[in-house]
Amino acid sequence: MTLPPPSASAPAGHALALTGLTRRYGAFTAVQDVSLSVASGQFLTLLGPSGSGKTTILMMVAGFTEPSAGSILLDGRDITALPPERRDFGMVFQGYALFPHMTVAENVSFPLRVRGLARAARDAKVRAALDLVQLDRFADRKPAQLSGGQQQRVALARALVFDPALLLLDEPLSALDKKLRGELQEELKALHRRIGRTFINVTHDQEEALRLSDRVAILDHGRLVQQGSPLELYERPATRFVADFLGRSNFLAGTVREVRPGAMALLAGATRVVQAVPEGAPRLALGTPGLLALRPEKITLLAPGEAADTEVAGEIAAWSYHGTGFSLAVQTTDLGILHVALPAWRAAISPTEGMPVRLGWPADASVPVAEDSHAA
Amino acid sequence: MTGGYGAGRFSRGIAWATVLYLVLPITIVLPVSLTDQRFLSLPQEALSLRHYANIFASPAWLAAIGQSFGLAVVSTLLAVAAGTLCAIGCWRLSRRASDLVRVLMLLPLIIPSIVYAVGLYRWFGKLDLLDRFLGVALAHAVTGIPYVVITVSAALAAFDPRLEQAARGMGASLGQTLRWVILPRIAPGIASGAIFAFIHSWDELVMVLFITSRQVFTLPRKMWDGINENLDPTMAAVAMLLVVFTLGLLWLDGALRRKRAA
Repeated sequence: MTLPPPSASAPAGHALALTGLTRRYGAFTAVQDVSLSVASGQFLTLLGPSGSGKTTILMMVAGFTEPSAGSILLDGRDITALPPERRDFGMVFQGYALFPHMTVAENVSFPLRVRGLARAARDAKVRAALDLVQLDRFADRKPAQLSGGQQQRVALARALVFDPALLLLDEPLSALDKKLRGELQEELKALHRRIGRTFINVTHDQEEALRLSDRVAILDHGRLVQQGSPLELYERPATRFVADFLGRSNFLAGTVREVRPGAMALLAGATRVVQAVPEGAPRLALGTPGLLALRPEKITLLAPGEAADTEVAGEIAAWSYHGTGFSLAVQTTDLGILHVALPAWRAAISPTEGMPVRLGWPADASVPVAEDSHAA
Repeated sequence: MTGGYGAGRFSRGIAWATVLYLVLPITIVLPVSLTDQRFLSLPQEALSLRHYANIFASPAWLAAIGQSFGLAVVSTLLAVAAGTLCAIGCWRLSRRASDLVRVLMLLPLIIPSIVYAVGLYRWFGKLDLLDRFLGVALAHAVTGIPYVVITVSAALAAFDPRLEQAARGMGASLGQTLRWVILPRIAPGIASGAIFAFIHSWDELVMVLFITSRQVFTLPRKMWDGINENLDPTMAAVAMLLVVFTLGLLWLDGALRRKRAA
């Protein structure tokens, strides 16, 4: 069995930088002053709800939409004014945009034909690209004769066959069912490792963003809210929006009552919530309101006599079972409803509605987050 | 059948009356074309194909058929070229500008052809195009454009604009995109437009009456003169051939549409 070459020996991708990118449509600002950079060979995902401006950014990178302000740099060279046909970017469109009157091979061969490559050279490259996505047997079919997943792979082969500087993906998996989407996520990730190109992906699916990306940029209302590795974003969300959009979070609001080195405490009603503050992290001033985000899976059920940094009592208002775990909604007096994800394997309780429970979590389980700037 | 309600008795009655109204005149022509008499009449004693044979023995009829066919081909080519380019241009332009152009393109359909013919007569006199093959071809081409614009615009409306984006994103120039992506997708629409433009030229009479005299003598003109001057049943035979020919073209159009839908 032969292993694919490690990504270090694969041809390097290109670096892209956006500075102050803005797009206005009349009075409406679709993208507001977005600056971010992608290093060579990285997989960047633009993540946001619909209307967040992520697709507009991709269309500006591709050259189909002209920025109102700001610039786009490829390896330091300004390409803002370059028309799309001269940018040399591969793109997988939403819905794939395969040419229905051409066979799979003709579709994949299109970018090479446009570049005036000789037939023999074209055929060799098309075969290699179809091999890459395991569709060599389907070369003579029409797109309509393929399944959604196969069409998606044809679109990938077509976008990669001419060795593009960048690969742009516009919601590439959104048309597929959940199981197929999972499989193709794996394939896409493996493909990225194998060819070592720079990928820029747009999606509204937070799970896809976490699984595929080296870096994720989160957008909301046309602004870049936060960017970082999936781990950084999940563990240290900066705002309420990020904490809520990427995974689920409980939000704990209170007033800062104690500030000590390495920790602080918020008071919400009669409940004291202890929050760790790592070295160098910004501190909240005494007496100011504070907001913490707490992941459901970081809350534990306390046994009688067991202690935790923060403890709160409540009763189960609703629960559901989904194989790997229980989802509990626990009504508390001071913190409202807390969502708890409890592993089902050897769970200490079998939940019933109205059951009293004691919850607890360590000081470093939660994260201080900012309220969203545009929130009313 | 679809699962909807059937039509009521009244609607059915109206529909059949309309069908009869449309078809009956043709059903008169058929027996007349098979008459055994020497004048325009219903067959008396037997059916005869002599008038059909007459067409192919008469140099005048054959010349008229040849001239009409040549005119239809040339004017169709002109109408298809102009109409297709116009429809693609409108499709790429902004909505407001293109709506205006589209309405202008439909003018030949809206204006009564006799008004159009009078205008042509005045202008063609000055341009020395009266009674010329080129003049008739131009007149038929211009009035055939609306059919092409309508069918090609319909085909473009069904064209996914992302295909054009995809082509350009992969480095294709506008010309390459047009040739390899847009034209193959709208070819059935162009073919439909061509068929209608051809039929339009093939049986157009009013303009021909105004702008031709002796040099250009088309088939509809020959039939018209025949009816006015003598009551030769050959006309009925020619009319039947025209009906069959047109039905053939319409069947071809239907076949092309079915192929596009598949």
